[in-house]
Amino acid sequence: MVSQSKRTNSIIGQVSAFLESRLSLSELKYLGEKKKVPQHKHSVWYYLGGIVGMFLFVQVATGILLMVYYVPDIHSAHASILNINSHINFGWFVRSLHSWGANLMIFALFVHLFSTYLMKAYRAPREITWWTGLLLIGLCMAFGFTGYLLPWDDVSFFATKIGLDIAGKGPILGPVVAYMLRGGDYISQATISRFFAIHVALLPVLVMGLVGVHVFLVQVHGISEPKTFKELPEAEKTYDKFFPDFFLKDILVWILALNVLFGLTTFFPWGLGPEADPFAAAPVGIRPEWYFLAPFQLLKLIPSTVGPIEGELFGLIIIALVALGFVLVPLFDTGISKTRSRLATGFGVFILVALVVFSIWGALS
Amino acid sequence: MNYPLWIVPYLGGTWVIGIIAIIHVFISHFAVGGGIFLALSEELAYRRKDERIYDFLKQHSRFFVLITTVAGAVTGVGIWFAVSLVTPDGIASLIQSFTLAWAEEYLFFAAELATAFAYYYTWDRISPEKHLLLARFYMWFSIFTLVIINGILTFMLTPGKWLTTHNWLDGVFNPTYWPSLAIRLLIMLAIAGMYALVTSSRIKEPKFRASMVRYCATWLLPVFLVGPLATIWFLSQIPQSAISSIYTGIQTSGLGNFSILARALYLSLILSGTILLFAFFGPYLNPKAFTFRIATLFMICGLAATGTTEWMREMLRKPYVIYNYIYSNGIHKSDVKELVDAGFLNKGKWASALAQSASSDTERGEIVFRYQCMACHTIKGYRSMKKLLGLLDEEAITRLLQMLKDEDPTQTANAYAGIMPPLAANDAELKCLAKYLATVNVKAREKASNTSVRPEELANKSLSLK
Repeated sequence: MVSQSKRTNSIIGQVSAFLESRLSLSELKYLGEKKKVPQHKHSVWYYLGGIVGMFLFVQVATGILLMVYYVPDIHSAHASILNINSHINFGWFVRSLHSWGANLMIFALFVHLFSTYLMKAYRAPREITWWTGLLLIGLCMAFGFTGYLLPWDDVSFFATKIGLDIAGKGPILGPVVAYMLRGGDYISQATISRFFAIHVALLPVLVMGLVGVHVFLVQVHGISEPKTFKELPEAEKTYDKFFPDFFLKDILVWILALNVLFGLTTFFPWGLGPEADPFAAAPVGIRPEWYFLAPFQLLKLIPSTVGPIEGELFGLIIIALVALGFVLVPLFDTGISKTRSRLATGFGVFILVALVVFSIWGALS
Repeated sequence: MNYPLWIVPYLGGTWVIGIIAIIHVFISHFAVGGGIFLALSEELAYRRKDERIYDFLKQHSRFFVLITTVAGAVTGVGIWFAVSLVTPDGIASLIQSFTLAWAEEYLFFAAELATAFAYYYTWDRISPEKHLLLARFYMWFSIFTLVIINGILTFMLTPGKWLTTHNWLDGVFNPTYWPSLAIRLLIMLAIAGMYALVTSSRIKEPKFRASMVRYCATWLLPVFLVGPLATIWFLSQIPQSAISSIYTGIQTSGLGNFSILARALYLSLILSGTILLFAFFGPYLNPKAFTFRIATLFMICGLAATGTTEWMREMLRKPYVIYNYIYSNGIHKSDVKELVDAGFLNKGKWASALAQSASSDTERGEIVFRYQCMACHTIKGYRSMKKLLGLLDEEAITRLLQMLKDEDPTQTANAYAGIMPPLAANDAELKCLAKYLATVNVKAREKASNTSVRPEELANKSLSLK
C-alpha cells in the first residue's frame, strides 16, 4: 500500500516536473499569488469581471453545440432551431442556455462597466484596460445583434430590419455598412450568411484576443483601488491573495450566477416565434433586445427633423457623443482636478439613470 | 365520500397538507441527521478529549433540541389534522393498514423526545461516557422513527405485494423501502452537516472554526458519493408509468409543454449540483472565508433541494394516494366501475346524505365536484377550474367529462388518463357536474360574447385544455 502510494507520488512528481520545465507553471502560480484583491466595502464589484468571463465560456460551449445542428440557410434556419428545440435531446436546454446566457452576460457587462466607471478605475495607468473593455462591450452587443437574426423568426427578422435601417441612417459610412451587412438592399440569404460568419468566426476571434489583452493588463497593473482605500494607512489595508483565496470565492459566485442562468433556462425556456415572412407586415410591437431599447426609445422620441438635420441622424449623433464621452473620460478625469472628477461622476450617473429610464420606457411603450 | 370534507378556497386542501408536510420533512430530517451528527461528533470530542468540540456541541444542541422537539411535534400533529380533514378516505385506508406501525413510530418518537431533553439538560452534570451514551440513544431512537415512517411513505408509491396479501409488513417492506431509506439517511446527514456549518461559522477562534467548518463540510460527502447510486436503485423500483411521465416531461420541455414534474426534477438537480460544488469550493477548500451569511444561504439552498425532491416524489404518485389502489380523491380503484354503474351519490355515506338534501342538479353537481375534483383543484386559485375551463360551455364540458371517464392510460382518447383519476359518476351525475361547472365560468363566457371574441380564439382557448 505504502509502496503503491509512493509510486503514485513519484508519477505525479514526474508529470509535474515535465510540465514545470516546459510551461513554468510555478511562475503562473506566483503571479496569481502576487496579485492582490483589495478588501473594502465596494469589493463586491470585483466579482463582475469574472462573472462575465464565466458567461462568455458558457456562450462558447453552448454556441459550439448549437452550430452542430443549426443551418444558416434562409429556408432551413427556422426549421433547424425548431429541430433543436423539439427533437435533439436537451437541445432546448442548450439553446436556452445560449440565449439566456447572452442576456445575462450583457447585463453583467453593463454592471461591470458602470461599477468600474464609478470607482474611477479608468484612470492612469489603466486607460487601455478601459478602452479594451469598451470595445468588448461593443463586440458583445454585436454578438447579440447578429445572433438575434439567426433563428429567422418574425420578431428577429423585423427587429434586425429596423436595426439595419437605423444603422443605414448613420453619417458617411452608415449606408455602406448597412448595405454590406445586409449583403444587398434587403435582408436575404446573404444577410444570414454574413451574420452567421460574423457571429461564429469574426467576433469570437476579436473577443478572445481583446479579452486576452484586457486580462493581461489587469495582471500588469493589478486591481484598481478606490481613492478612499488608497488613502488608508498601509496597516489598515487588507488584501486577499487572488490565488487561491479570491479565486475560490470567485468560483462560489460563478456557481450562484450559473444557478440564475439554469433557473431561467429551466423555468422559462427560450421560445421560437413563427418563421419570418419578409413580405408580411411587421407584427405589432416589434422591439429590439432589451439592451438596445434605450437608444431605440431615444430615436423614437426625436422628431423627424431637428433643425436642418434628419431626426434619426440627430439621434445617432447623440448616441455617438455619449459613447465618445465614455472613450474620452480617462483623458478628461485624470484624478488631478476635483471638479473634473465630479463632472465625470455626474455624467456616468446621468447616463446610467437615462439608460434605465429609457429602457423601461421602451419596454412599456 | 364517507366523511365530511374541508374546503380550502384559493389554496386548495392539498397545499395546506403540503406546506405543513414540507416543514415537517425539514425538521424531521434535521432531527435524525442532527442526532447522528451529535452522537458521532461527541464521540470525536470524547476520543480526542477536545473541550472545544464539547463547547461547540453544547451551543449547537441548544437550538437543535428546541426546534426538533417543539416544531417537529407541532407540524407532525398538524399533518394529522390537515390530512384527516382534506383526504379522510385516503388516510382512513392507511390507518386501517398501519395502526401498529404508527403506534410503534409514536413510541420511538416519545423516546426520542425524552432522550433529547435528557441529553440537553445533562451537559456537564453526568460523566462524558454517560452523556455519550445518551447521545447514542437519541440517535438510534430518531433513526427508528425514520425506519418506520419510511415504510408508510414508500408504501404509498409502491404498495408491492400488499395489494394482494394486505399484510402490513408487506406494505412496509415494499419495493422502494430500502433505496428510499438509504436516500433519506444520506439527505439527513447532508442537512445535519449544513446546519452544523451554520453554527460552526460562528465559532470565534479562527483556526478551530476553519477545522470545524471543514469537518462539517465532509458530512455532505456521502450524499454525493452514494446518493446517485441510491437514486438509480430507487428509480428502478418505481412504476413504469411514473418513469414514463418523467421521460415525457423532459422530452416535451422544449415545446412549451412543460410539466411541473420536469421542472421539479430540473430544480432538484440544479440545487443538488450547486450544493455539491458549493460545499467543495466553499467550506472544504476555503474554510477560512466561510461566513455565517454564506452558511445560512447554503442551508436555505439545501432545504430547497430537499423540498423540491420531496415534491417531485409526491408528483410521481399521481393520480393515486396509494398507487394502483386509491386515487388522490379517495376513491378506490376497484370501486370505480360500481360507482359508474350505480352512481357516486348513491354509494358514499356522507356524499349520499348530502345529495339527498340537494335541491337542484347544480347542487348535486357541486357535491360531485367537491368529492371528486377538489382534492386537486380549486374554483379560482391553485389549479383553478375557472382558468382550466376557459370558455367551454355546458355541452363542451359534458364532452370533456365523458372523456375523463376513460380509465385506461393506453387509450389515447383521454389525455388525462394516468394523470387524473377517472370520473366515477353515472350519466345523470355527469350532467349535474357539467351543469355546475358551467356556472363556474359563466361570467367569462358572458364577457367573451359581449366583446365578441373571434371564433378562432375560442377554438384556441378550448384547445389549450387538451
